[in-house]
Amino acid sequence: MSTTPRLPSPPAPVGGASDAINRSVLAYQPELLRAFVRVYGTLWSHGVVDQATKEVARLRNARTTDCRYCRNVRFAGARAAGLSEGLAAQIAEGFEESELSEHHKAVIRYADVFLTDPTRLGDAQRAEMLRCFTPSQIVELTAGLALFMGFSKIAVVLGQEPEQMPTTVVPTPTRPA
Amino acid sequence: MTWLPETAPGATPFDQALGLCPDLRADLAAFQDLFWTLRPVDPIVLELCRLRVAQILGCDAELARRSAPAVAAGLTEEKIAALDDWRVSGAFSDLERAALRVAETFVLDPHGMSDADVGAVSARLGPAGTVALVEALAFFDGFTRFRLILGVGAPGAAR
Repeated sequence: MSTTPRLPSPPAPVGGASDAINRSVLAYQPELLRAFVRVYGTLWSHGVVDQATKEVARLRNARTTDCRYCRNVRFAGARAAGLSEGLAAQIAEGFEESELSEHHKAVIRYADVFLTDPTRLGDAQRAEMLRCFTPSQIVELTAGLALFMGFSKIAVVLGQEPEQMPTTVVPTPTRPA
Repeated sequence: MTWLPETAPGATPFDQALGLCPDLRADLAAFQDLFWTLRPVDPIVLELCRLRVAQILGCDAELARRSAPAVAAGLTEEKIAALDDWRVSGAFSDLERAALRVAETFVLDPHGMSDADVGAVSARLGPAGTVALVEALAFFDGFTRFRLILGVGAPGAAR
């Protein structure tokens, strides 16, 4: 792992993105960044899955992929929806015995298969997901996992993780007009 | 075949599943298309990386399709057939090898990425091209897994 940026800082910020993203190397590709910000805003603010549940999936990926930035960020909407820091801390080893809801435990199990070997989702887990979520919600959660994982890995491979970072609540991504 | 009990209209199983979230499908398609229309990276390099990601993850659907811009740019089936042996095959350029090394490490062990791995790509693509490549890898890795876990692996139309 490298916390030293592997690319120089980009020359100019991109309008419409958050400060953190603006300062990142993603700003080297302004059109791609604008399109990504739109995707991410749609996922978080125009979706069919409640924000706390998506945050559980995002944080499970953050811990598994081991992205320091993603691990320490909290989205305000999920916090407001009841995912306290105490609950967030339980998205870890031993989550099966935690106070997390059964829905949230199902999401963690699903995320673990997605992140390790997505060909190994068994019948029992499929049935569990269909008991807990609608097909639209499952698709949205899965697309979210794809984005969470992919962009966590970008931070890791390009050395975009901070040396140290406290837990930080940031606004939930919204879709630009 | 997908285990989802319902899907939406769409040209492919992938589109049909994602169509349950139509706004997300539209925004993702717009994002993905930019890799091929803006051409921040040679489409042959991108396509080789997409196919290598599919090989690693075992996604027959992604392996079966071809991206039209890469084919139009001259990507041959002979080169694709050599992809398993990219380290030793003479069919690949220095840039293609550097990109494939980054693609493999991105999928399998991102924390194992070295300064030299990224440096070999950025020396040839510059910072902007390197960012575009890793964003494409993020999409390929994430949405190949999406296909596999949802069972929407039937080949789709080439983009």
